[in-house]
Order: sequence, then C-alpha cells, then structure tokens
Amino acid sequence: MLKRRFLASLIAATALTAVVGLPHGAQAADKTIIIGINLPITGGDAAGAKRIMNGALLGISMANDSKAVPGYTLKPMVLNDATPTAGQYDPAQAATNARKMVSNEKVLAAIGPEMSGSAKAMVPILSEGNLTMITPAATNPDLTNPQFAAQYMPGGKPVFFRTVTTDAFQGPNMANYFAETLKVKSIYVLDDSGAYGVGLADAFQKQAAAQGIKVLGRDRLDPTAADYSSILTKVKSLGAEALYFGGVAQAGVKLVKQAYDIVPNIPKGAGDGMYSPDVLTGAGFPAAEGWYISNASPHLTDDTKLSQWIGDYQSKFNESPDDYAITAFDGVQVIIAAINKVVASGGTPDRESVRAAIASGTVPTLQGAVSFDKNGDITQRIVSVFRITHDPKFPDGDPQHQFKFVGNAPQS
Amino acid sequence: MTPFDLLLQQLINGLSLGAMYALLALGFTIVYGILELINFSHFNVFMVGSFIAMGVLHLFGIEGQSVLLHGLPLVGVLLVVLVVTMIACGFLGVIIERFALRPLRGVKGPMAMITTIGVSYILSNVVLLTQGANEKNYPNPIPHWSFYIGGINGARITVFQILIWVISTLLMGGLFWFVQRSRLGKAMRATAQDPDAALMMGVEVNRVIMTAFFMGSALAGAAGLIFSLYYNFTSFGIGFSAGLRAFTAAVLGGIGNIPGAMVGGIIIGLIESLAGQYIAVKWADVIIFSILVLVLICRPAGLFGRLAPTKS
Repeated sequence: MLKRRFLASLIAATALTAVVGLPHGAQAADKTIIIGINLPITGGDAAGAKRIMNGALLGISMANDSKAVPGYTLKPMVLNDATPTAGQYDPAQAATNARKMVSNEKVLAAIGPEMSGSAKAMVPILSEGNLTMITPAATNPDLTNPQFAAQYMPGGKPVFFRTVTTDAFQGPNMANYFAETLKVKSIYVLDDSGAYGVGLADAFQKQAAAQGIKVLGRDRLDPTAADYSSILTKVKSLGAEALYFGGVAQAGVKLVKQAYDIVPNIPKGAGDGMYSPDVLTGAGFPAAEGWYISNASPHLTDDTKLSQWIGDYQSKFNESPDDYAITAFDGVQVIIAAINKVVASGGTPDRESVRAAIASGTVPTLQGAVSFDKNGDITQRIVSVFRITHDPKFPDGDPQHQFKFVGNAPQS
Repeated sequence: MTPFDLLLQQLINGLSLGAMYALLALGFTIVYGILELINFSHFNVFMVGSFIAMGVLHLFGIEGQSVLLHGLPLVGVLLVVLVVTMIACGFLGVIIERFALRPLRGVKGPMAMITTIGVSYILSNVVLLTQGANEKNYPNPIPHWSFYIGGINGARITVFQILIWVISTLLMGGLFWFVQRSRLGKAMRATAQDPDAALMMGVEVNRVIMTAFFMGSALAGAAGLIFSLYYNFTSFGIGFSAGLRAFTAAVLGGIGNIPGAMVGGIIIGLIESLAGQYIAVKWADVIIFSILVLVLICRPAGLFGRLAPTKS
C-alpha cells in the first residue's frame, strides 16, 4: 500500500516536473523542490488566508526569478484546509493535507497553517515525516511547548517553527495594554471554542486578573450559531467596561455586528485571528470601528524600507498586503536560506538537512533577523496593537489602511 | 438594568429568535404532515432565500448599512424584496420536489430523506462556489429605530424586532387560515390523513404536494430575509445551525402540527436566549436538545401531537 502510494506520487511528481520544466528550456535540467502551503483559502477567513498565500507565493516566484537557489527550481504545492461543512478551517482536512505533503518526497518544507487548530492536527504527522513547517500566523503556545513534546514532537526534533510570536505573549501583552493604556477596570472574556481562541482568551484572562482587571465572566461562542445577543445583553447588564474575544472571523464578524448594537461604547479587543479583511468586509462600518486588534508580529506594512516590496506585492496581486503576508514571505526566506546553506556545504537538500539548517540559522528577512529558540519559536516577541479606524479613502477590506497601528503592547 | 429589565430584554431577544425558528419550522411541518418526509433541503432553501434577497436589495442600490430608507420607499422596497424572495424560494421548493423527490415517491425506506440531504449539500456548495465562503455584510435599509421600556437603562426593543413579530404572525396566521379554510387547504388536510382515499375522492395529490413545498419554501425564504436583516450578515453556512434548531422546534411541537411548530420555535428561541443569560451560551445547545429528548420520552408525539398520514 505504502509502496504503491509512493510510486504513484513519484509518477505524479515526475509528470509535474516534466510539464512545468519544459517551457523554461534552460531550467529543464534544474531539480525541483516543492514547498507545501496549507491555508484555509475558501473558508470564513479566506481573504486573510489569501494574503498569507500570496506572501508565500511571491517569495517563491522572486526566488525563482533571481535564481536564489542555483540548480533548483522551487514549486509551491497549495492545499486548502477549509471545508464547506466547517465553513472555516477544518483540522481533519488539515491532517489529510499534512499526509499529502509528507507522502510527496519532493516536499522539503512547508508554509502554514494559518490556524492553530489546524496546526495541532498537522504537526504530529509532520513530525513523523520529519517535514519542517513554518507558520506565519498560528500562535497557540502548546505547539512549541516542551511540555507537549510527546504530542507535537514525537520525532524528538522540532519541525514546527514560527515567524510570529505566540499567544503566551499576544494574550498577556494585550491584557497589559487594556490595563495600562486603556485603563480598563472590568472585562468580560469570550472565545470561539477553537484551539486558538480558547488558548488566547485563557492567556489574556490570566494576565488581566494579575493586572487587577476584574474578570466578570467567561463564556464560549458556537461559531456556527447566529445569535450572540443574549450573551451580549448579559455583558451589558454586568456593566463590563470592556470585552475581549479570542477567536477568528466566523464567530468574530457576528460578534462585532451585535456588539455594536448592544454594547457600542465599551472598548473591545481581540487577537490576530481578527486581523483580517474578512472582519472588515463582513462586519462593515461603522460596526467594526474602534475594535483593538493585536498581531503577533512587529508592524511592518507602514515601514518605508518595505515600500519597494509592498509595491511589488500590490502590482502582482492587485491588493494591499498585511503583516502576515510579510511573515509568510519571511518564512519562505528562511526555507530558501536553509536550502542554500545545505547546497553551499556540498550536500543535497533533504528534509533533515533543511530542518537542521532552519533550526540553527539566523536569516535576514523583511521583519529583521529571524532565528528560532530550541522549541522552534521566533526569538523576537513583539506584539503590535491596531485600532480599526475607518479610512473612507480606501476600500473597506483593505487591512493596510483600515487597521491603524497604535503601538506595541507592553511586555510583561 | 434591574433583574426584571434584564429578563424582559432576554424575553424580547428570545421571541425574535423564536419567531424566525417558527417560520422555518413550518416548512418542515407542512411537508412532513403530507408526505411523512423530513425535508433536509429546507435548511438551505432558507440560506438561498437570504442570498436571493441580498441580490434584490443590491438591485435597489442598497449596500451595507449606510443606505437608509424611510417611509414609503422603505415599505415598498421591503415588500418587493419579501415577495420576490418568497416566490423565488417557493419555486425552488417546487423544483426540488418535482425533480429530486417525485421520482422517489413510491420508494420505501429513507431514500427520499437521504436525497433531501444531498439536495441540501448541492445548494450549499453552489452558493459556496459562486458567492465565496466569507460572511457577507448584509445590505440593510432599515434605520436603527428603537425605544426603551422603563427608561434608558431598561429593556430595548428595536422597531425591526416588532416588525419580525408582525410579519411572522401574519405569515403564520395566513398559513393557518389557508390550511383550515381554503379548498386547497382542505385537500391538503385530506391528503395528510389518507393520501389514497384523498386521491379516490378526486384530490389532485401532486398539486397538493407541490403547494405544500411551495408554501414551506416560501416561508423559508421569508425567514432567510428576516434572519439576515436582523443579524446583518449571511453566509453559505447559515442553513445548518438555524435549520437544525427549527427542525428541533417542529419535532418539539409535534411534527406535522402547524400550531405546534410555532410554539416549538418560540420555546427554542426563549431557551437559547435565557440559557445564555442565566447559565452560559456554551450550554445552550445541550439544554435545547436535552429538553427535546425529555419531551419526546414523555410525549413521543411532541407537545401538540403529531399529524401524519395514516398508514393502513
């Protein structure tokens, strides 16, 4: 069975190489390395996921254009982990995609997933196949926590790396922001029952309590339900001074709309799962106005040093990038640097050599030098905070202009 | 807010929710009453209705929540959208019946029910593939009028909530009158009691069944429009969670029984809303379905008794 599958994938890969390789003429002799990409590109988070995908694809095509890896052509293999039944990312589909990547020998590394719930399903499979994955967006701390090594590192070596920091910083730093900058005294905390949302809300809640914010309650939303008015009425009746939500767009859009109706005047916050065009277009203005959204990376799209890159992205995809398009691009840079390191030392890149090179290297990227600790987490830990502020000069779904950067969240 | 205001507010929220579940539950109940068929495609006829209405609203130039209408234009636009959506959904129901279900009518067993699940998936995937999966910001021309009972800190009722109650009551009342009083309604009841005898008495059974599908689906279309205007959003996935609760409402009230579906819908809406306040939202589904199980154990025919074809 395994042998047959291997043979099938080999034939498929050879056929693919033949088809793609031929038109390029001179490149026909190049060997192909496939970089897997797994993102929820049709789900409730599609617009955000597509920006991440475009960031990664731009990295791959720029590398091919500049022949960044001499003798090799990089090819993306894009897989979708959103399903119609879930309406958003689906961990079961993510696991299937992980198997697909592992079973294709030409896949030496991968970018994604966007969602921690998917990552939790993928990483054990990737670890057994020794396939490295770099996430530009999944922030749940369990994935790289040595306490869960048996689950997420059964191969014994880290295969899951991040070009963003984790919710172990995103949640608490945002709680610091609510306590120190917004001077909030009481709060109600909600999550969307996903792995990411629950973990983020837990981390936020713990630090909020430590900061002296009174946590008036905690509840869990069903992302497929439509009506959140009863819980929001409860939040209002308790006199909460603020609301925090851990979760992604599917529940988030409905929460934003109904919160605007029921508790319009209190500060409301959420994590990077809500830093997405889907929230802006789904909730619309004025409902989305004023939400504080954190991101687990430094804020980059306003950086003047990156204007050339942003121009390239815009002309290629006809839309503005967001910060996670950049962290995805950075992930590709890390992979390319690792492959080059292996090639330069005279080796043939394979999964283990690429993995080892990623784990040990420091790579200059758009967000600065990226290196990883022994668990696979990025060593920089900046959490940036945005306030959704309507700028009518730009389209509603333009994250670069509708999320206004208001500063980095205070570190604990 | 005093505890009393709070209770009142949750009752208002729950009644609005319940009215929508009731409209949707009626479609299950009418079809079941006549064919003894659980029609799962109803879930997504509701969803398609919400998209059809969105298209019509876009034709009127209404985008997002920034274009607000008042007075006669508002009433006119809403009426046109409601009527177009109901007729379009009604025909969708008739098409589903004619092409997917009638060929299976004589077949014993769960084939027809499974076909309706298939149709349901086809509808949701067609919308997913043509409209995308992201949640749509729903065009809504209704201004945010609302008033408070007992001062600014009291319970708040929006005019749209009252509109929901009025429209639902009118539609449900109209249906009830139609089934009880009109000729076709009598034929429907006769078919429900005994299809073979009705056929022998000269009732056009095919026409009766088509009417049932048309009316049930038209009500689902109305529910889809009201739902989306109330929550200001729609997506290809709204059918399943709302549909499942509406189906539960129909069973709770006694599937096949029209007043039962209305009461069942209101009960489910109130439970969902009160559970969110006094227990926790995360337990709402557990409570709803536990009550369903309890009712069915104590009264297997539902609260109001089942109305279904007599099998001889």
